[in-house]
Amino acid sequence: MKRTSAAAKILSLGAITLIMVWTLYPLAWVLLTSFKPPADQFRPVWLGFAPTLDNYHAFFSNSEFARSLLNSLIVTGLAVLVSLVLGTPTAYALARFRMRGKPAVMIFVLLARMTPPVVLVIPFFLLARKMGISNTYLALVGMGSFLSVPFVIWMMRGFFAEIPFAIEESAVVDGCSRTQALLRVVLPLAAPGLAATAVLCALLVWNEFLFALVLSGADTRTLPVLVNMFVSEKSVEWGTMSAAGMITVLPLIVFGLVAQKHLVRGLTMGSIK
Amino acid sequence: MAKISSARLEAYRYLLPGLLFLLVVFLLPLAYAVGITFFRWSLLRPDLGIRFQGLKNYLTVLSDPFTYETLGRTLIFVAGAVLLEMVLGTAISLLLNRGFRGNALVQSVLLVPFMMAPIVVGFTWRFLLNNNFGPLPVLFMRLGLTGLMDPPLLANQHLVLLVLIIVDIWQFTPFVVLVLLAGLKALPAEPYEAAVVDGAGAWQRFRLITLPLLRPAVLVAVVIRTLTALRIFDTVMIMTGGGPGSSSEVLSFYGYRLAFQSYEMGLAGTVGVLTMGLALLFTLFYIKRVGVDT
Repeated sequence: MKRTSAAAKILSLGAITLIMVWTLYPLAWVLLTSFKPPADQFRPVWLGFAPTLDNYHAFFSNSEFARSLLNSLIVTGLAVLVSLVLGTPTAYALARFRMRGKPAVMIFVLLARMTPPVVLVIPFFLLARKMGISNTYLALVGMGSFLSVPFVIWMMRGFFAEIPFAIEESAVVDGCSRTQALLRVVLPLAAPGLAATAVLCALLVWNEFLFALVLSGADTRTLPVLVNMFVSEKSVEWGTMSAAGMITVLPLIVFGLVAQKHLVRGLTMGSIK
Repeated sequence: MAKISSARLEAYRYLLPGLLFLLVVFLLPLAYAVGITFFRWSLLRPDLGIRFQGLKNYLTVLSDPFTYETLGRTLIFVAGAVLLEMVLGTAISLLLNRGFRGNALVQSVLLVPFMMAPIVVGFTWRFLLNNNFGPLPVLFMRLGLTGLMDPPLLANQHLVLLVLIIVDIWQFTPFVVLVLLAGLKALPAEPYEAAVVDGAGAWQRFRLITLPLLRPAVLVAVVIRTLTALRIFDTVMIMTGGGPGSSSEVLSFYGYRLAFQSYEMGLAGTVGVLTMGLALLFTLFYIKRVGVDT
């Protein structure tokens, strides 16, 4: 239908190349720096150094750094688990049952997602202090679950709605209870959606900074809080911090690429499929 | 839809755990946040206690010129970033929608920026812009743009907000691209065929067919980007700390500073509630135009 001239083709190829360079340039710089030996860390050069793993070694041999990686893993893992367990049944109810006040519930859940963190960071801090749970995993997992439960509800509701009701109806006719039907028939069918939701929740919790900054302490610091702490200091160890940066972003980039198909849907709370 | 008996009771059994959780971790803290705006509460002066003072915090915040300066900076940042992201995002999504070899790879690369922790994005750009160790000043020097190095960009009170906008564009234009691409894929082919028969040019086809049909996706992208731009904090914290002076201090950073550097909980809460008001406006707009029932 459309005939593109050679000139237009070259032009668009050029534009796409430019976009790729612009997008990857910052990441490439940090990735390269993370492999630079200490002597070359303070030279703004792209090449001409002997790559080394020293910076990664420095990261893992610093107990404070290694601890924050562990903290991030624990907090993210637990928060994702808790929010799937809490949010999935709610999503199921919203997708499957007729009830009054459903729009109000959906708006309430949406509000929880849309509220700016600066409003909640103050009560979170004061309440955690009052309850004596500052600097505990409990506070951080609670915070992470708060971030992801609304997300699980909106995402999973959409995935459940796509599964034909007749499938679980026949399971119930065959003698399953509703819960059995949900666990044995519906959830396996929704498994890809569940996995994508889990990945996106992990992204939310893992990358969270403001709440983590206020709720964590020396024992529970997560990676973003650690990166901020060491970069705010006067003399920044660019090499080690580049390694820390890569360790913070790489696992999530890999996960994100795996869940690519559902990413847009998740990030728009299901309004774009 | 649900024809199974005693469905209502069962529905609540599924519904409630998640909602009760949100009640405890969201609604209660939110009420608490609103509550403290009516009190004088300084963590530095426990001897003064927590004193009720009606609307005084609101009067203080709303009569302080600094509030409006901060609000102005925030709105400039949000409007600048979202507008440019939408324009660039539309152009790039149209480019990618033509289909070519390597398209999937390009789209995968585009996912990378917005999956990165904003704090690492901030670190990365601070590094890139560092006059001594970063690669961008080297580039500026070669291009004869030494004005961008003295003062360093992040210490330049006239340009620092623009730098934050550019970093936001770097991180979130790909998000707009992916949302619009999803919208473009869902467009019907018939109107285009008819338009070609009628002799419409490329620009006319874009303006009269693509843009109107793409409106829902554009709306979603604009509202979500606006709401996330409004909460910008991480990159400000790690790149500028609100400076130089207060030339990059945005609302959420102001609220944070009042709470965790001045320890004025009542005033900080008030700034937070006002920010919430702004976000609420956009959320209501979203609900009205996009709807909650997909």
